[in-house]
Amino acid sequence: MIQFQSVSKRFPNGVDAVRDLTLEVQEGETLVLLGTSGCGKTTTLRMVNRLTEPTSGCIQIAGENVLDQNPILLRRKIGYAIQHIGLFPHMTVGENIAVVPRLLNWSPERIGARVDEMIAMIGLDPNEVRDRYPPQLSGGQRQRIGVARALAADPRIVLMDEPFGALDPITREQLQNEFLELESEIKKTILFVTHDLFEAVKMGDRIALLDEGRLQQTATPSELVEHPANEFVDQFLGQHRFHLSLLTRSVGTLLRADQERAFDGPPSATCLRARDSFVDALDMFRQSGADSLPVRRGRVLLGILERSALLDAISEVFGLTDARI
Amino acid sequence: MTTLIAFFDKLGPEMLQRTYEHVYLTFLAVVIATAIALPLGVFLARSSWTRFTNVVMGAAGIIQTVPSLALIAFIVLLFALIALPTLGAFPALVALVLYGLLPILRNTYTGIRQVDPSVLDVATGMGMTPHQVLFQVELPLSLPVIMAGIRISTVWTIGVATLCGLIGAGGLGDLIIKGLRSIQMDYLIAGTVPAGLLAILFDTILAWLERWLSPVTLSEASGEASA
Repeated sequence: MIQFQSVSKRFPNGVDAVRDLTLEVQEGETLVLLGTSGCGKTTTLRMVNRLTEPTSGCIQIAGENVLDQNPILLRRKIGYAIQHIGLFPHMTVGENIAVVPRLLNWSPERIGARVDEMIAMIGLDPNEVRDRYPPQLSGGQRQRIGVARALAADPRIVLMDEPFGALDPITREQLQNEFLELESEIKKTILFVTHDLFEAVKMGDRIALLDEGRLQQTATPSELVEHPANEFVDQFLGQHRFHLSLLTRSVGTLLRADQERAFDGPPSATCLRARDSFVDALDMFRQSGADSLPVRRGRVLLGILERSALLDAISEVFGLTDARI
Repeated sequence: MTTLIAFFDKLGPEMLQRTYEHVYLTFLAVVIATAIALPLGVFLARSSWTRFTNVVMGAAGIIQTVPSLALIAFIVLLFALIALPTLGAFPALVALVLYGLLPILRNTYTGIRQVDPSVLDVATGMGMTPHQVLFQVELPLSLPVIMAGIRISTVWTIGVATLCGLIGAGGLGDLIIKGLRSIQMDYLIAGTVPAGLLAILFDTILAWLERWLSPVTLSEASGEASA
Protein backbone atom coordinates (compact mmCIF):
# COMPACT_ATOMS: atom_id res chain seq x y z
CA MET A 1 0.00 0.00 0.00
CA ILE A 2 2.82 2.38 0.94
CA GLN A 3 6.23 1.66 -0.55
CA PHE A 4 9.45 3.37 0.35
CA GLN A 5 12.18 2.74 -2.23
CA SER A 6 15.69 3.80 -1.22
CA VAL A 7 14.33 6.90 0.44
CA SER A 8 16.82 9.32 1.98
CA LYS A 9 16.33 12.66 3.63
CA ARG A 10 19.09 15.10 4.36
CA PHE A 11 18.02 18.33 6.02
CA PRO A 12 19.55 21.65 4.94
CA ASN A 13 21.57 21.69 8.17
CA GLY A 14 23.38 18.56 6.99
CA VAL A 15 21.61 16.05 9.24
CA ASP A 16 20.85 12.75 7.55
CA ALA A 17 17.47 11.93 9.05
CA VAL A 18 16.66 8.94 6.88
CA ARG A 19 19.21 6.86 4.95
CA ASP A 20 18.35 4.57 2.10
CA LEU A 21 15.09 3.29 3.55
CA THR A 22 13.25 0.55 1.71
CA LEU A 23 10.07 -0.59 3.36
CA GLU A 24 6.58 -1.63 2.43
CA VAL A 25 3.44 -1.13 4.47
CA GLN A 26 0.89 -3.77 3.52
CA GLU A 27 -2.74 -2.92 2.95
CA GLY A 28 -4.69 -3.14 6.21
CA GLU A 29 -1.72 -3.62 8.51
CA THR A 30 -0.44 -1.43 11.30
CA LEU A 31 3.26 -0.87 10.80
CA VAL A 32 5.02 0.73 13.74
CA LEU A 33 8.10 2.87 13.15
CA LEU A 34 10.06 2.42 16.34
CA GLY A 35 13.23 4.07 17.55
CA THR A 36 14.79 6.59 19.88
CA SER A 37 14.29 10.30 19.26
CA GLY A 38 16.24 11.50 16.26
CA CYS A 39 16.18 8.11 14.55
CA GLY A 40 14.18 9.45 11.60
CA LYS A 41 10.83 7.83 12.34
CA THR A 42 8.82 11.07 12.32
CA THR A 43 10.62 12.28 9.20
CA THR A 44 9.73 8.99 7.51
CA LEU A 45 6.08 9.45 8.46
CA ARG A 46 5.97 13.07 7.30
CA MET A 47 7.36 12.17 3.90
CA VAL A 48 4.26 10.09 3.18
CA ASN A 49 1.93 13.10 3.17
CA ARG A 50 4.65 15.40 1.89
CA LEU A 51 5.00 17.55 4.97
CA THR A 52 8.65 16.76 4.33
CA GLU A 53 10.07 16.02 0.88
CA PRO A 54 12.59 13.22 0.42
CA THR A 55 16.05 14.14 -0.85
CA SER A 56 16.21 11.02 -2.96
CA GLY A 57 14.27 7.82 -3.50
CA CYS A 58 10.63 7.27 -4.17
CA ILE A 59 7.51 6.85 -2.06
CA GLN A 60 4.50 5.24 -3.67
CA ILE A 61 0.97 4.93 -2.41
CA ALA A 62 -0.98 2.22 -4.22
CA GLY A 63 1.61 2.34 -6.99
CA GLU A 64 1.51 6.12 -7.46
CA ASN A 65 4.49 8.28 -6.63
CA VAL A 66 3.45 10.81 -3.98
CA LEU A 67 5.68 13.45 -5.56
CA ASP A 68 3.49 13.33 -8.69
CA GLN A 69 0.39 14.20 -6.70
CA ASN A 70 -0.96 17.54 -5.54
CA PRO A 71 0.16 17.65 -1.88
CA ILE A 72 -3.08 19.32 -0.74
CA LEU A 73 -5.32 16.67 -2.32
CA LEU A 74 -2.95 13.91 -1.21
CA ARG A 75 -3.16 15.01 2.43
CA ARG A 76 -6.95 15.11 2.39
CA LYS A 77 -6.93 11.42 1.51
CA ILE A 78 -4.62 10.50 4.39
CA GLY A 79 -5.58 10.61 8.07
CA TYR A 80 -3.12 12.46 10.31
CA ALA A 81 -2.91 12.44 14.10
CA ILE A 82 -0.03 13.67 16.25
CA GLN A 83 1.11 13.61 19.85
CA HIS A 84 0.27 17.25 20.47
CA ILE A 85 -3.17 16.54 19.00
CA GLY A 86 -3.40 20.03 17.54
CA LEU A 87 -7.16 20.35 17.95
CA PHE A 88 -8.25 23.80 16.82
CA PRO A 89 -9.11 25.56 20.10
CA HIS A 90 -11.45 28.04 18.40
CA MET A 91 -13.57 25.33 16.86
CA THR A 92 -16.02 23.04 18.63
CA VAL A 93 -15.38 19.31 18.79
CA GLY A 94 -17.87 18.85 15.96
CA GLU A 95 -16.18 21.47 13.80
CA ASN A 96 -12.78 19.91 14.47
CA ILE A 97 -13.93 16.49 13.34
CA ALA A 98 -15.62 18.06 10.31
CA VAL A 99 -12.45 19.75 9.00
CA VAL A 100 -11.43 17.27 6.32
CA PRO A 101 -14.99 16.37 5.23
CA ARG A 102 -15.56 20.11 4.83
CA LEU A 103 -12.36 20.49 2.81
CA LEU A 104 -13.70 17.67 0.63
CA ASN A 105 -17.00 19.56 0.20
CA TRP A 106 -19.26 16.96 1.73
CA SER A 107 -22.88 18.05 2.14
CA PRO A 108 -23.78 19.52 5.56
CA GLU A 109 -26.15 16.61 6.30
CA ARG A 110 -23.49 14.04 5.53
CA ILE A 111 -20.95 15.94 7.66
CA GLY A 112 -23.38 16.21 10.58
CA ALA A 113 -24.16 12.50 10.49
CA ARG A 114 -20.47 11.60 10.17
CA VAL A 115 -19.48 13.81 13.12
CA ASP A 116 -22.01 12.13 15.39
CA GLU A 117 -20.96 8.72 14.12
CA MET A 118 -17.30 9.44 14.86
CA ILE A 119 -18.00 10.81 18.35
CA ALA A 120 -20.05 7.73 19.18
CA MET A 121 -17.32 5.51 17.74
CA ILE A 122 -14.73 6.87 20.18
CA GLY A 123 -17.11 6.16 23.04
CA LEU A 124 -18.37 9.67 23.78
CA ASP A 125 -21.88 11.08 23.73
CA PRO A 126 -22.39 13.24 20.61
CA ASN A 127 -24.99 15.44 22.28
CA GLU A 128 -22.69 16.10 25.18
CA VAL A 129 -19.41 16.90 23.45
CA ARG A 130 -20.31 18.01 19.91
CA ASP A 131 -20.64 21.70 20.77
CA ARG A 132 -17.95 21.91 23.42
CA TYR A 133 -14.52 23.41 22.84
CA PRO A 134 -11.32 21.35 23.15
CA PRO A 135 -9.96 23.21 26.21
CA GLN A 136 -13.12 22.14 28.06
CA LEU A 137 -12.21 18.47 27.69
CA SER A 138 -9.76 16.15 29.45
CA GLY A 139 -6.51 15.05 27.82
CA GLY A 140 -7.90 11.59 27.08
CA GLN A 141 -11.03 12.99 25.47
CA ARG A 142 -9.01 15.41 23.38
CA GLN A 143 -6.74 12.62 22.18
CA ARG A 144 -9.74 10.47 21.23
CA ILE A 145 -11.14 13.39 19.25
CA GLY A 146 -7.78 13.82 17.54
CA VAL A 147 -8.04 10.21 16.40
CA ALA A 148 -11.69 10.64 15.36
CA ARG A 149 -10.71 13.69 13.33
CA ALA A 150 -8.00 11.74 11.55
CA LEU A 151 -10.53 9.06 10.63
CA ALA A 152 -13.45 11.36 9.80
CA ALA A 153 -13.17 11.33 6.02
CA ASP A 154 -12.66 7.54 6.05
CA PRO A 155 -9.10 7.62 4.65
CA ARG A 156 -7.52 4.33 3.60
CA ILE A 157 -4.23 5.36 5.15
CA VAL A 158 -3.73 6.88 8.58
CA LEU A 159 -0.48 8.39 9.84
CA MET A 160 -0.14 8.53 13.61
CA ASP A 161 2.83 10.19 15.30
CA GLU A 162 2.91 9.11 18.94
CA PRO A 163 -0.83 9.67 19.19
CA PHE A 164 -0.96 8.52 22.81
CA GLY A 165 2.39 9.97 23.84
CA ALA A 166 1.14 12.88 25.90
CA LEU A 167 -1.15 10.83 28.16
CA ASP A 168 -0.68 9.37 31.61
CA PRO A 169 0.06 5.61 31.59
CA ILE A 170 -3.44 4.53 32.63
CA THR A 171 -5.29 6.68 30.09
CA ARG A 172 -2.74 5.70 27.47
CA GLU A 173 -3.36 2.00 27.98
CA GLN A 174 -7.11 2.57 27.89
CA LEU A 175 -6.84 4.46 24.61
CA GLN A 176 -4.51 1.86 23.13
CA ASN A 177 -7.05 -0.86 23.91
CA GLU A 178 -9.92 1.19 22.52
CA PHE A 179 -7.96 1.89 19.38
CA LEU A 180 -7.07 -1.78 18.86
CA GLU A 181 -10.74 -2.63 19.22
CA LEU A 182 -11.69 0.13 16.79
CA GLU A 183 -8.92 -0.77 14.38
CA SER A 184 -10.03 -4.40 14.16
CA GLU A 185 -13.38 -3.13 12.86
CA ILE A 186 -12.27 -0.41 10.45
CA LYS A 187 -9.12 -2.06 9.07
CA LYS A 188 -7.02 0.83 7.90
CA THR A 189 -3.46 0.86 6.67
CA ILE A 190 -1.72 2.57 9.55
CA LEU A 191 1.77 3.94 9.88
CA PHE A 192 2.34 4.46 13.58
CA VAL A 193 5.35 6.20 15.11
CA THR A 194 6.44 5.58 18.68
CA HIS A 195 9.58 5.44 20.80
CA ASP A 196 7.87 3.11 23.27
CA LEU A 197 8.84 -0.52 22.74
CA PHE A 198 5.81 -1.81 24.63
CA GLU A 199 3.43 0.36 22.67
CA ALA A 200 5.04 -0.89 19.44
CA VAL A 201 4.63 -4.51 20.48
CA LYS A 202 1.05 -3.88 21.48
CA MET A 203 -0.13 -1.85 18.51
CA GLY A 204 1.91 -3.19 15.62
CA ASP A 205 1.23 -6.01 13.20
CA ARG A 206 4.83 -5.40 12.20
CA ILE A 207 7.55 -3.22 13.64
CA ALA A 208 10.25 -1.38 11.72
CA LEU A 209 13.08 -0.49 14.06
CA LEU A 210 15.16 2.50 13.00
CA ASP A 211 18.44 3.85 14.29
CA GLU A 212 20.18 6.96 12.99
CA GLY A 213 18.00 6.93 9.91
CA ARG A 214 18.78 3.32 9.02
CA LEU A 215 16.33 0.47 9.11
CA GLN A 216 17.60 -2.17 11.55
CA GLN A 217 14.89 -4.79 11.32
CA THR A 218 11.35 -5.19 10.05
CA ALA A 219 9.48 -8.01 11.73
CA THR A 220 6.36 -9.01 13.58
CA PRO A 221 6.57 -8.19 17.28
CA SER A 222 7.26 -11.79 18.24
CA GLU A 223 9.93 -12.25 15.55
CA LEU A 224 11.59 -9.06 16.68
CA VAL A 225 11.63 -10.20 20.28
CA GLU A 226 12.64 -13.81 19.56
CA HIS A 227 15.07 -13.20 16.71
CA PRO A 228 16.75 -9.80 16.92
CA ALA A 229 18.53 -9.24 13.60
CA ASN A 230 21.60 -7.55 15.01
CA GLU A 231 23.39 -6.22 18.05
CA PHE A 232 21.47 -2.94 18.01
CA VAL A 233 18.05 -4.61 18.07
CA ASP A 234 19.23 -6.88 20.84
CA GLN A 235 20.37 -3.92 22.91
CA PHE A 236 17.20 -2.01 22.18
CA LEU A 237 15.15 -4.84 23.66
CA GLY A 238 17.42 -4.74 26.70
CA GLN A 239 16.20 -6.43 29.85
CA HIS A 240 12.59 -6.40 28.74
CA ARG A 241 12.94 -9.54 26.65
CA PHE A 242 11.08 -11.88 28.99
CA HIS A 243 8.24 -9.43 29.53
CA LEU A 244 8.07 -8.73 25.79
CA SER A 245 7.99 -12.43 24.98
CA LEU A 246 4.95 -12.78 27.20
CA LEU A 247 3.37 -9.74 25.57
CA THR A 248 3.92 -11.01 22.05
CA ARG A 249 2.37 -14.42 22.68
CA SER A 250 -1.37 -14.60 22.49
CA VAL A 251 -3.54 -16.99 24.45
CA GLY A 252 -5.12 -18.14 21.19
CA THR A 253 -2.01 -20.21 20.52
CA LEU A 254 -2.51 -22.25 23.70
CA LEU A 255 -5.81 -23.75 22.57
CA ARG A 256 -6.40 -26.77 20.41
CA ALA A 257 -8.15 -25.84 17.21
CA ASP A 258 -10.90 -28.46 17.47
CA GLN A 259 -12.82 -26.97 20.39
CA GLU A 260 -14.48 -24.08 18.53
CA ARG A 261 -18.19 -23.51 18.98
CA ALA A 262 -20.63 -20.58 19.05
CA PHE A 263 -20.33 -18.44 22.15
CA ASP A 264 -23.67 -18.33 23.95
CA GLY A 265 -22.73 -16.62 27.20
CA PRO A 266 -23.70 -13.00 27.98
CA PRO A 267 -21.44 -10.38 26.35
CA SER A 268 -20.42 -9.18 29.78
CA ALA A 269 -19.07 -12.57 30.88
CA THR A 270 -15.43 -12.64 31.95
CA CYS A 271 -13.68 -13.83 28.84
CA LEU A 272 -10.27 -13.75 27.27
CA ARG A 273 -9.95 -12.68 23.67
CA ALA A 274 -7.81 -14.80 21.37
CA ARG A 275 -5.30 -12.03 20.76
CA ASP A 276 -4.88 -11.19 24.46
CA SER A 277 -1.27 -11.64 25.51
CA PHE A 278 -0.01 -13.93 28.27
CA VAL A 279 0.32 -10.82 30.44
CA ASP A 280 -3.33 -9.86 29.85
CA ALA A 281 -4.36 -13.42 30.66
CA LEU A 282 -2.33 -13.46 33.85
CA ASP A 283 -4.02 -10.23 34.93
CA MET A 284 -7.44 -11.64 34.13
CA PHE A 285 -6.81 -14.80 36.15
CA ARG A 286 -5.60 -12.74 39.06
CA GLN A 287 -8.56 -10.36 38.97
CA SER A 288 -11.23 -13.01 38.53
CA GLY A 289 -9.66 -15.60 40.80
CA ALA A 290 -10.89 -18.29 38.39
CA ASP A 291 -8.97 -21.48 37.57
CA SER A 292 -10.14 -21.51 33.98
CA LEU A 293 -11.47 -18.89 31.58
CA PRO A 294 -13.26 -19.09 28.23
CA VAL A 295 -11.41 -17.66 25.22
CA ARG A 296 -13.34 -16.13 22.36
CA ARG A 297 -12.79 -14.45 19.06
CA GLY A 298 -15.81 -12.29 18.30
CA ARG A 299 -18.86 -14.52 18.77
CA VAL A 300 -16.88 -17.75 18.53
CA LEU A 301 -15.80 -19.62 21.62
CA LEU A 302 -12.35 -21.02 20.92
CA GLY A 303 -12.01 -23.08 24.04
CA ILE A 304 -11.31 -22.99 27.76
CA LEU A 305 -7.90 -21.96 29.06
CA GLU A 306 -6.69 -23.54 32.29
CA ARG A 307 -4.64 -21.39 34.60
CA SER A 308 -2.08 -24.15 34.97
CA ALA A 309 -1.67 -24.39 31.19
CA LEU A 310 -0.91 -20.67 31.06
CA LEU A 311 1.63 -20.93 33.87
CA ASP A 312 3.33 -23.86 32.14
CA ALA A 313 3.56 -21.86 28.94
CA ILE A 314 5.02 -18.90 30.81
CA SER A 315 7.72 -20.95 32.49
CA GLU A 316 8.60 -22.42 29.12
CA VAL A 317 9.05 -18.88 27.75
CA PHE A 318 11.18 -18.04 30.75
CA GLY A 319 13.36 -21.08 30.01
CA LEU A 320 13.81 -19.91 26.42
CA THR A 321 14.69 -16.32 27.20
CA ASP A 322 16.81 -17.28 30.16
CA ALA A 323 18.84 -19.64 27.99
CA ARG A 324 19.53 -16.81 25.53
CA ILE A 325 20.67 -14.35 28.17
CA MET B 1 -26.06 74.46 37.98
CA THR B 2 -26.47 77.81 36.34
CA THR B 3 -22.75 77.90 35.57
CA LEU B 4 -23.06 74.53 33.90
CA ILE B 5 -25.95 75.75 31.76
CA ALA B 6 -23.98 78.84 30.89
CA PHE B 7 -20.99 76.67 30.01
CA PHE B 8 -22.91 74.52 27.58
CA ASP B 9 -24.75 77.53 26.26
CA LYS B 10 -21.47 79.11 25.32
CA LEU B 11 -19.44 76.09 24.21
CA GLY B 12 -21.89 73.24 23.62
CA PRO B 13 -22.23 73.54 19.84
CA GLU B 14 -18.50 73.95 19.31
CA MET B 15 -17.75 70.99 21.61
CA LEU B 16 -20.09 68.82 19.55
CA GLN B 17 -18.50 69.97 16.31
CA ARG B 18 -14.94 69.42 17.61
CA THR B 19 -15.79 66.03 19.10
CA TYR B 20 -17.20 64.97 15.77
CA GLU B 21 -14.01 66.09 14.00
CA HIS B 22 -11.91 64.34 16.60
CA VAL B 23 -13.75 61.03 16.24
CA TYR B 24 -13.70 61.34 12.47
CA LEU B 25 -9.93 61.95 12.39
CA THR B 26 -9.20 59.17 14.84
CA PHE B 27 -11.47 56.69 13.10
CA LEU B 28 -9.98 57.39 9.69
CA ALA B 29 -6.44 57.16 11.04
CA VAL B 30 -7.05 53.84 12.80
CA VAL B 31 -8.79 52.35 9.76
CA ILE B 32 -5.90 53.33 7.49
CA ALA B 33 -3.29 52.19 10.02
CA THR B 34 -5.06 48.83 10.33
CA ALA B 35 -5.32 48.49 6.56
CA ILE B 36 -1.54 48.90 6.36
CA ALA B 37 -0.33 47.18 9.53
CA LEU B 38 -2.55 44.09 9.50
CA PRO B 39 -1.52 42.70 6.08
CA LEU B 40 2.06 43.78 6.72
CA GLY B 41 2.10 42.01 10.09
CA VAL B 42 0.64 38.85 8.56
CA PHE B 43 3.20 38.97 5.79
CA LEU B 44 6.11 39.48 8.19
CA ALA B 45 4.93 36.72 10.53
CA ARG B 46 4.71 34.21 7.70
CA SER B 47 7.90 35.17 5.89
CA SER B 48 11.21 33.66 6.84
CA TRP B 49 12.92 36.88 5.86
CA THR B 50 14.14 37.76 9.34
CA ARG B 51 16.35 40.67 8.44
CA PHE B 52 13.57 42.49 6.61
CA THR B 53 11.20 41.80 9.50
CA ASN B 54 13.68 43.31 11.94
CA VAL B 55 14.10 46.40 9.78
CA VAL B 56 10.34 47.01 9.51
CA MET B 57 9.63 46.37 13.17
CA GLY B 58 12.59 48.56 14.10
CA ALA B 59 11.37 51.41 11.90
CA ALA B 60 7.90 51.22 13.41
CA GLY B 61 9.49 51.24 16.84
CA ILE B 62 11.59 54.31 16.05
CA ILE B 63 8.55 56.24 14.85
CA GLN B 64 7.00 55.43 18.20
CA THR B 65 9.91 56.92 20.14
CA VAL B 66 9.65 60.29 18.40
CA PRO B 67 7.58 62.61 20.63
CA SER B 68 4.18 63.03 19.01
CA LEU B 69 4.54 66.81 18.87
CA ALA B 70 7.87 66.45 17.07
CA LEU B 71 6.42 63.91 14.65
CA ILE B 72 3.72 66.35 13.63
CA ALA B 73 6.31 69.11 13.26
CA PHE B 74 8.51 66.88 11.10
CA ILE B 75 5.62 66.02 8.84
CA VAL B 76 4.67 69.64 8.40
CA LEU B 77 8.26 70.58 7.51
CA LEU B 78 8.63 67.60 5.21
CA PHE B 79 5.36 68.46 3.47
CA ALA B 80 6.51 72.08 3.10
CA LEU B 81 9.68 70.83 1.38
CA ILE B 82 7.82 68.67 -1.09
CA ALA B 83 5.05 71.22 -1.61
CA LEU B 84 2.21 69.26 -0.03
CA PRO B 85 -0.39 71.01 2.15
CA THR B 86 1.05 71.78 5.58
CA LEU B 87 -2.21 72.73 7.25
CA GLY B 88 -5.48 70.92 7.83
CA ALA B 89 -6.54 67.30 8.10
CA PHE B 90 -4.18 65.73 5.58
CA PRO B 91 -0.80 66.17 7.32
CA ALA B 92 -2.53 65.42 10.63
CA LEU B 93 -3.88 62.18 9.26
CA VAL B 94 -0.46 61.11 7.99
CA ALA B 95 1.08 61.73 11.41
CA LEU B 96 -1.69 59.83 13.20
CA VAL B 97 -1.45 56.85 10.85
CA LEU B 98 2.32 56.62 11.32
CA TYR B 99 1.85 56.81 15.05
CA GLY B 100 -0.91 54.22 15.16
CA LEU B 101 0.90 51.63 13.02
CA LEU B 102 3.18 50.09 15.59
CA PRO B 103 0.76 48.53 18.10
CA ILE B 104 -1.27 46.92 15.33
CA LEU B 105 1.81 45.74 13.45
CA ARG B 106 3.47 44.34 16.54
CA ASN B 107 0.36 42.61 17.83
CA THR B 108 -0.50 41.09 14.46
CA TYR B 109 3.03 39.77 14.17
CA THR B 110 3.09 38.34 17.70
CA GLY B 111 -0.49 37.08 17.43
CA ILE B 112 0.25 35.03 14.33
CA ARG B 113 3.61 33.88 15.65
CA GLN B 114 2.17 32.60 18.94
CA VAL B 115 -0.25 30.17 17.27
CA ASP B 116 0.67 26.68 18.47
CA PRO B 117 2.97 25.12 15.82
CA SER B 118 1.36 21.71 16.26
CA VAL B 119 -2.01 23.21 15.34
CA LEU B 120 -0.47 24.55 12.14
CA ASP B 121 1.23 21.23 11.47
CA VAL B 122 -2.08 19.39 11.70
CA ALA B 123 -3.89 22.02 9.64
CA THR B 124 -1.39 21.57 6.83
CA GLY B 125 -1.20 17.81 7.34
CA MET B 126 -4.95 17.48 6.95
CA GLY B 127 -4.81 19.22 3.60
CA MET B 128 -5.59 22.89 4.17
CA THR B 129 -4.14 25.27 1.59
CA PRO B 130 -1.88 28.04 2.97
CA HIS B 131 -4.78 30.41 2.36
CA GLN B 132 -7.15 28.23 4.40
CA VAL B 133 -4.58 27.89 7.18
CA LEU B 134 -4.37 31.69 7.36
CA PHE B 135 -8.09 32.45 7.31
CA GLN B 136 -9.45 29.44 9.18
CA VAL B 137 -6.73 28.92 11.76
CA GLU B 138 -4.08 31.63 12.15
CA LEU B 139 -6.26 34.74 11.95
CA PRO B 140 -9.12 33.47 14.15
CA LEU B 141 -6.61 32.32 16.76
CA SER B 142 -4.71 35.61 16.79
CA LEU B 143 -7.76 37.84 16.52
CA PRO B 144 -7.88 38.71 20.26
CA VAL B 145 -4.24 39.82 20.17
CA ILE B 146 -4.75 41.79 16.96
CA MET B 147 -7.85 43.47 18.46
CA ALA B 148 -5.81 44.42 21.52
CA GLY B 149 -3.35 46.15 19.18
CA ILE B 150 -6.14 48.06 17.47
CA ARG B 151 -7.47 49.08 20.87
CA ILE B 152 -4.11 50.43 22.04
CA SER B 153 -3.67 52.22 18.74
CA THR B 154 -7.12 53.82 18.99
CA VAL B 155 -6.58 55.12 22.52
CA TRP B 156 -3.18 56.56 21.59
CA THR B 157 -4.56 58.17 18.47
CA ILE B 158 -7.33 59.87 20.44
CA GLY B 159 -4.68 61.40 22.64
CA VAL B 160 -2.28 62.40 19.88
CA ALA B 161 -5.13 63.79 17.77
CA THR B 162 -5.51 66.68 20.25
CA LEU B 163 -2.13 67.94 19.03
CA CYS B 164 -3.45 68.12 15.50
CA GLY B 165 -5.34 71.26 16.51
CA LEU B 166 -1.96 72.95 16.19
CA ILE B 167 -1.93 72.53 12.44
CA GLY B 168 -5.53 73.44 11.92
CA ALA B 169 -6.89 69.94 11.61
CA GLY B 170 -9.74 70.73 13.98
CA GLY B 171 -10.74 68.31 16.71
CA LEU B 172 -10.80 68.82 20.45
CA GLY B 173 -7.23 70.09 20.41
CA ASP B 174 -8.58 73.25 18.84
CA LEU B 175 -10.52 74.07 22.02
CA ILE B 176 -7.51 73.33 24.21
CA ILE B 177 -5.27 75.61 22.17
CA LYS B 178 -7.87 78.36 22.24
CA GLY B 179 -8.05 78.02 26.02
CA LEU B 180 -4.29 78.18 26.30
CA ARG B 181 -3.91 81.25 24.10
CA SER B 182 -6.73 83.24 25.64
CA ILE B 183 -6.18 81.89 29.17
CA GLN B 184 -9.77 80.68 29.50
CA MET B 185 -10.31 77.68 31.71
CA ASP B 186 -13.71 76.79 30.26
CA TYR B 187 -12.21 76.22 26.77
CA LEU B 188 -9.52 73.99 28.26
CA ILE B 189 -12.12 71.91 30.04
CA ALA B 190 -14.36 71.77 26.98
CA GLY B 191 -11.47 70.24 25.04
CA THR B 192 -9.92 67.99 27.65
CA VAL B 193 -12.90 66.29 29.26
CA PRO B 194 -14.50 65.02 26.01
CA ALA B 195 -11.07 63.77 24.83
CA GLY B 196 -10.67 61.80 28.05
CA LEU B 197 -14.21 60.47 27.86
CA LEU B 198 -13.69 59.46 24.25
CA ALA B 199 -10.58 57.49 25.15
CA ILE B 200 -12.40 55.68 27.95
CA LEU B 201 -15.45 55.03 25.78
CA PHE B 202 -13.47 53.57 22.86
CA ASP B 203 -11.26 51.58 25.18
CA THR B 204 -14.33 50.00 26.79
CA ILE B 205 -16.10 49.25 23.53
CA LEU B 206 -13.02 47.72 21.93
CA ALA B 207 -12.16 45.71 25.06
CA TRP B 208 -15.66 44.29 24.95
CA LEU B 209 -15.31 43.52 21.26
CA GLU B 210 -11.98 41.84 21.95
CA ARG B 211 -13.53 39.54 24.56
CA TRP B 212 -16.45 38.83 22.31
CA LEU B 213 -14.13 37.77 19.49
CA SER B 214 -11.95 35.56 21.68
CA PRO B 215 -12.52 31.84 21.34
CA VAL B 216 -14.89 31.23 24.24
CA THR B 217 -12.74 28.71 25.88
CA LEU B 218 -9.34 30.34 25.94
CA SER B 219 -10.42 32.64 28.73
CA GLU B 220 -13.03 30.95 30.85
CA ALA B 221 -13.05 27.22 30.62
CA SER B 222 -9.50 25.94 30.58
CA GLY B 223 -9.70 24.64 34.14
CA GLU B 224 -13.00 22.86 33.75
CA ALA B 225 -11.77 19.63 32.22
CA SER B 226 -12.80 16.36 33.78
CA ALA B 227 -11.54 12.84 33.14
